[in-house]
Amino acid sequence: MTDEDQAALTQLQTQQMYLTRAMKAACEGRWQGEDSVEAWLYAIDPSLQGQVTANPPSYG
Amino acid sequence: MVSPEIAQLQDQQALLTQALRSMLEGTWCGAPPSTEAFVLALDPTLSFTCNPPTLASDAPPAPPNYLARYDPSTDMPRQQASWSCSACALAWLLRALGLNSDCYEQCGINEIGYPNNINPTYGLMDGSGAQLQRVLYEYNQNSEQAWLSYDSAWSIYSQTPGVMSGGAWYHWVGVRGTSDGNLWVANSAPGYDGVWDILTRAQFNALGPFSCVWTTA
Repeated sequence: MTDEDQAALTQLQTQQMYLTRAMKAACEGRWQGEDSVEAWLYAIDPSLQGQVTANPPSYG
Repeated sequence: MVSPEIAQLQDQQALLTQALRSMLEGTWCGAPPSTEAFVLALDPTLSFTCNPPTLASDAPPAPPNYLARYDPSTDMPRQQASWSCSACALAWLLRALGLNSDCYEQCGINEIGYPNNINPTYGLMDGSGAQLQRVLYEYNQNSEQAWLSYDSAWSIYSQTPGVMSGGAWYHWVGVRGTSDGNLWVANSAPGYDGVWDILTRAQFNALGPFSCVWTTA
């Protein structure tokens, strides 16, 4: 495996960990705020900050 | 350049990230950029029926604060005096809104003002309901009054409770809300002129004109 492959794989592993956290937050109904879907989405792709208009599910 | 396998994983990760964003933005089904579309991009062999959740933007607005404690099923005891329907209707409204949980017929009479504003000879002296509005105001509850058509009354009382009196009926009732196309009333004289707890359009038109008082924020 090349160094480039190794670096890409490491990044993918990190992104997958964040994605798992985001899915857990979704299952718990936590879409915004600390440890939320939105927070983990920005961790996966920081360039999305300021680009997303949240309209989460309603649990009322 | 990374290996083809790593490149495929990167593409899939990008699709998952976009799917996550679409979920957060409430774009669950349909054409891209929806969650459904990204899932199908990840695995085109999947077949499913998308069933989106109710979104925060779809949720009805919260009721006004003054209706937070409103209970439309609040009981309405039968009136003891023949002239106290307005007091019973007012007392019901005070109880239903949580403004005075102990207020019943005599309390309503006292609040309206015996004998100047309500008495056995005339009942409620001002048939518009101005004294009822004054009492509500003293409980910091705003209200409005008008002689309404059935359609206007139905529209208003579907949103907020109040009291009303028919000129030909000569009887005050509380208005709990609406039931289908009818008015749902709190009636201290059930059965009077054939009205129990539902007032139909035909009854409204026959027993009016109605002075309607309704609560506001």
